[in-house]
Amino acid sequence: MTWVRRLLAIDRRIIFLLVGVGAALPLLFPLNLPVAVSPRVKAAYDAIDALPPGSKVLLSMDYEPDIMAELFPMSVAVLRHCFRKHVQVIAMTLYPAGTGLGERAILTAAKAEGAVRNRDYAWLGYKSGFQVVMIGIGENLRGMYPVDFYGTRLDSIPVTRHVNSYAQLQMVINLSGSSAADYWIQFAQGRYHAPLVIGCTAVMATDYYPYLSSKQLLGLIGGMKGAAEYERLIDIFGDARRGMDAQSLVHVIVVGLVIVGNAALFISKRSGGDGGGPASGSMTR
Amino acid sequence: MLRSGFVTPQFDTRWFDPARWNVLIGVLLFTVFLVVNIFRARAKGNLYVRPIAGLKALDEAIGRATEMGRPVLYVPGLSDMSEVGTFAAITICARLAHRVAEMGCDIDVPCYDPVVMTVLDGAVREAYSKAGKPDAFRPGCVHYVSAQQMAYVAAVNGFMLRELPAANIYMGSFYAESLLLAETGARTGAIQIAGTDKVTQLPFFVCACDYTLLGEELFAASAYLGREPIQLATVIAQDWAKALAAAAIVGALVLSALGNPALQTWLKVA
Amino acid sequence: MRRGPLLLTFLSGAAIAALFFIPHYKAQAANSMLLEWTLVVYAFALILGSISLWNSHARKVRDRAEGWGFSVVTLVSLLAITALGVWKGVGEGTPVDSIYNTVNSPLASTMFALLAFVIASAAFRAFRARSVEATLLLVTAIVMMIGRVSIGELISHRLPGITEWLLDVPNLAAKRAIAIGVGLGAVSTALKIILGIERSYLGRS
Repeated sequence: MTWVRRLLAIDRRIIFLLVGVGAALPLLFPLNLPVAVSPRVKAAYDAIDALPPGSKVLLSMDYEPDIMAELFPMSVAVLRHCFRKHVQVIAMTLYPAGTGLGERAILTAAKAEGAVRNRDYAWLGYKSGFQVVMIGIGENLRGMYPVDFYGTRLDSIPVTRHVNSYAQLQMVINLSGSSAADYWIQFAQGRYHAPLVIGCTAVMATDYYPYLSSKQLLGLIGGMKGAAEYERLIDIFGDARRGMDAQSLVHVIVVGLVIVGNAALFISKRSGGDGGGPASGSMTR
Repeated sequence: MLRSGFVTPQFDTRWFDPARWNVLIGVLLFTVFLVVNIFRARAKGNLYVRPIAGLKALDEAIGRATEMGRPVLYVPGLSDMSEVGTFAAITICARLAHRVAEMGCDIDVPCYDPVVMTVLDGAVREAYSKAGKPDAFRPGCVHYVSAQQMAYVAAVNGFMLRELPAANIYMGSFYAESLLLAETGARTGAIQIAGTDKVTQLPFFVCACDYTLLGEELFAASAYLGREPIQLATVIAQDWAKALAAAAIVGALVLSALGNPALQTWLKVA
Repeated sequence: MRRGPLLLTFLSGAAIAALFFIPHYKAQAANSMLLEWTLVVYAFALILGSISLWNSHARKVRDRAEGWGFSVVTLVSLLAITALGVWKGVGEGTPVDSIYNTVNSPLASTMFALLAFVIASAAFRAFRARSVEATLLLVTAIVMMIGRVSIGELISHRLPGITEWLLDVPNLAAKRAIAIGVGLGAVSTALKIILGIERSYLGRS
């Protein structure tokens, strides 16, 4: 049965084409699929929602352009929530390429919610050093950031005027696609006991479930789905919810391909074939 | 007693944190296991470690490369010397390079980090010297590519598609690029063996590679390949420590269920 | 000849390990200083990396190896970006910053986007019910892929809960077990290096 063999060995390019169409179509024609909110994202939302007006949070956006698809919508959603609650945000990044993205996220959220620089937020920009910066903020913020990104001294900015360390902050929020989150947990939460909310890529999210169980994290926003859930909670239709439509369709396409492949395998084996050649993947050894 | 109260770091004048007794005891016990097994190794000579399919396949991979006249591609991960996974990658590369030198095929090692590149260059040269073939070492086989994740992946994928290595070996710390590398390698028909300490990347390697070393097997690989008694002793010490950890977890679970959370509290790391 | 590096490895490794247990502010200040030193070492190591990159591509151009034209592009880019960075700086609005934002960042995002395609290709190839374990992987993967997206909620309101359970219980249990093994393996490797049992990283004797 040649059609079975063809199905078992579909040209990669056909798979790529199907995925490409599946990703593009919902972006052009949104499906508005429902998004169920998970307890972890709800916990993050509730933690931020419980902050009284005038609270100050440190938001560290530690990601670069390659993972902005997951973390940029998350940044905008969290920022918009903070601005709506009149929570003052001190934003920074530990990645040099994150400077442009961080600033863009703040400006996007500020424009949507009418937030004003220096009154509602301060953008500190990039500082190198990772753990050194986290420890440094715990001891003296001005030692790490004497001025903000635009060159204004921190003492001149209402948002940062009375902030010297984590002790004057009501929360630390870290949005990261790397081991930066581990260091924030180790230093900001572990050493300085700052209340901490983490946002990360979907693949990394399960690494932080133990910290939620042990209450070291107040909440966890995982991947584009987490960002979409957060957007739903603050009632906006942003890039994450739009992206979830595309992700949903692509997942259905992949599942369909897997089912087709296995059906062809089953038929091939029943008719005495070799099932399309040697097995691939470590699971078959 | 077991939990330290919060002390402002700049005024902390303690020379030991009592909340870390559990970690210190754990490290000391591990060291005792290590010393005991080193003595056992010296007395017995050879200690048994279970065969690991991925490591046995390394010889097959090198043999395949030699027969086909194509190089072996060794990717040492995308991290720097601060990661223990990188050290494991370096030690495996040294042993692999020794076998490559003995078999007479070629190896290519694209590096993400310049310090790692320097260390690997020395290790591979040493391996060729130990195999008695210092002149067979090809200068430039260990080379720096880029410290940017996706630029590195693009370069390595390009190498795979142009040079068509017979064997792709991925050992070390990998991140989002793991599937990009493994799937491109699968497309070229190379035999692929992977090992990483990054648990989140294991599923991608399991799906796309022929053999995968799971977690700690990466760290045991060096001992397994060298078969030196002292190295094997460290693998067994690891196993003893794992058994102790499992017993402690079960003990804490049972005691907590019986209403006594003392052991569970003591096991928490401050 | 290796005694010096081995002794240095032992002393620095033991010192950093000890600092984990010593909260004294002077000790932690020393810890921070050592972390800063690693940044300085890395900065100098970048010079070594650049030299290696130059040599690798210059050799291809000299030998007119296949694809040597691309090596010319690499070498010219390396020189041009370095010169621009030294001349105009690397801050906001500089040519290097513009090139990074308009060339490097979109390229990195594009490479990352390829993951969606390769995942589909890898899933089609690997998720075949050839053995019991492979069948289990296949079924779990299908449930996860459908349950984690909005369509899962439409198919059944129980599906998101099932996927959360799969993540919270069997997946987390396996991850923790592997993580314990990895942690112990890392401790073992670190001890081997500190105690000088493992010396292959030292290179030539």
